[in-house]
Amino acid sequence: MRVLVIEDDAETARYIVRALRGEGHEACSQSNGRDGLRVALSGQWDLFIVDRMLPQIDGLEVVESLRRSGSAAAILMLTTLGGVHDRVQGLNAGADDYLVKPFSFAELLARVAALGRRAGRSGATTSLRYADLAIDLLSRTATRGGEPIELLPREFRLLEYLMKHAEQIVTRSMLLEHVWDVHFDPHTSVVETHVSRLRSKIDRGNAMTLIHTIRGSGYTLRATK
Amino acid sequence: MTGFSFIVLFGVILWSTTHFMRHQIDDSVANEIDEIVTDPQSSNPAGLASVVTGLARHSGGFYYLLQDSAGKVIAGNMPGLDPKLGIREWANPPRAERPRGSAVRGKGVAVDGGYLFVGWSTHQLREMEEMVTRSFMWGLTASVALALVGGVLAGRRIMRKIESVSETTRDIVAGDLTRRVLATTAGDEFDHLAASINSMLDRIQSLMSELQQVTTDIAHDLRTPLSRLRQRLESAQRPDAAAAELREAVAGTVGEIDVILGIFSALLRIAQIESGARRSGFATVDLNELLGTVAELYRSSAEEKRQAFLLSVANNLRVRGDRELLLQLFANLVENAIKHSPPESTIALSASHEAGRACIVIADNGPGIPAHSRTKVLQRFFRLESSRTTQGSGLGLSLAHAIVKLHEASLELWDNEPGLRVTVVMAETPA
Repeated sequence: MRVLVIEDDAETARYIVRALRGEGHEACSQSNGRDGLRVALSGQWDLFIVDRMLPQIDGLEVVESLRRSGSAAAILMLTTLGGVHDRVQGLNAGADDYLVKPFSFAELLARVAALGRRAGRSGATTSLRYADLAIDLLSRTATRGGEPIELLPREFRLLEYLMKHAEQIVTRSMLLEHVWDVHFDPHTSVVETHVSRLRSKIDRGNAMTLIHTIRGSGYTLRATK
Repeated sequence: MTGFSFIVLFGVILWSTTHFMRHQIDDSVANEIDEIVTDPQSSNPAGLASVVTGLARHSGGFYYLLQDSAGKVIAGNMPGLDPKLGIREWANPPRAERPRGSAVRGKGVAVDGGYLFVGWSTHQLREMEEMVTRSFMWGLTASVALALVGGVLAGRRIMRKIESVSETTRDIVAGDLTRRVLATTAGDEFDHLAASINSMLDRIQSLMSELQQVTTDIAHDLRTPLSRLRQRLESAQRPDAAAAELREAVAGTVGEIDVILGIFSALLRIAQIESGARRSGFATVDLNELLGTVAELYRSSAEEKRQAFLLSVANNLRVRGDRELLLQLFANLVENAIKHSPPESTIALSASHEAGRACIVIADNGPGIPAHSRTKVLQRFFRLESSRTTQGSGLGLSLAHAIVKLHEASLELWDNEPGLRVTVVMAETPA
């Protein structure tokens, strides 16, 4: 993906660009809102990473301007300390995701990957398939190798999210946000517990395990022998 | 106002006195004309002329004019006039005395062979007007002067009161928060102002001392992770530190920094919530869904401690508020219950309707809080324990308190006999 980072703190910008390039993305940065917007509008980009506080033109305005100009690229906003208004304001302005500084490499890369996938997704789908796993979004049922699997509602949502991001790493915070609609970390094992319960239902008795835990990063749905 | 009524009064008196005098003149003139016309001698023009001449010679103050139909003066002490009938005024008296503006006011009648006019000087009337006007001017001046003096005196009194308030606020700005504005028993606007200012100062003083307390607590909470951080880094600096040790030190450092960042984050949120920043984001929140999520988040923690977790929420329980903040509030309370209760105890989360209000209860049968601390804790809820800004839900009890206040809810602690029962009561909202 071609990623433009608009961030006024040089060290943070360097950190982000390095992480992105390490993953194989093309990345460069601008250090203020005005230049950032100019470069954004005059180039072809797949993803913008915009800091909330920028000199000259502030982050929210940059995001709004990008959307107004008809840009369909994904936008990830960054903010320090996560003020109570920030996330909602950012999403209302047109951002697709929101990340509180400081964040780990893994978190950043996982969210960038998820946004990349989002950009490519087509319209409404009623079923998802990966390997021999299939789920029906209307009837909320799951099968593996044709055999039905009993899932609780929360487990289904978890599986749905994993499948939507198949072969990508999804972090704990992403799961908390999208599966539980919780935007703080309760520091409990709720995510781990649910993932392992799901794993035992999905992977039990199967030679091919699909749900994996990536230490230090999160979880992923991937077909491996 | 005074000046205006004065002028009205003046106008009324002036008008009524001059009207009276004018009336008097008209009456005497009418009488005089009557006497002339009814005099037996006046039955013929010549007799009339001699009557008029005789009267004019006496010069009793009346003005007389008798002229023929051609306008020639026959008798009297006036020059000819145009023969206007009825009451009229003639502006040029021949006499020497001539108060400014005075005229001759009289009546003209048609007589056999000509025109008869009898009049009287209005100089007395004019004098009266002048006198009345003059007294009024004096009166007005005097009352304006009095008003000015009174105003100055009152103004000085007000200035003194204002100066007293300014002095008090100067002292307060200089740092003495205990000062208050003096109020008298006069009950005037100044006393109301003083009362308002004083109650505002009371509020500021209590906020300041709350802030001082919170700042102390937070400084304490920060010192621990910062010292641990320092210790780790210091031991990593040792020349004989192995690579594995260094890696561990770095990992630990990152952990401590996250704790510190969490504290700052909580601080920011508390400040924003207390300033009411989130009220605009209020929406209808279904407590069933909300508390269900809270239960789900913490059930595993309870299970790890072999605690029983009970959930019981009434149907159709809705409140108005911020879902995210309410989630954090109840998560915080449940987490505390789990943390402070021993293994094998029971944690119960429930919500019910209580006369138009939603009543949410988090109860445990752990050690609870002794009665005397319970009341203290109510007042300064955020001092419940040393782990004021726990990492659990990323918030401390001070944040829970701020959220409760923002939602205009109440939070109370009760003895669960045994254990602690925390109740949060808020207004219910219809669907």
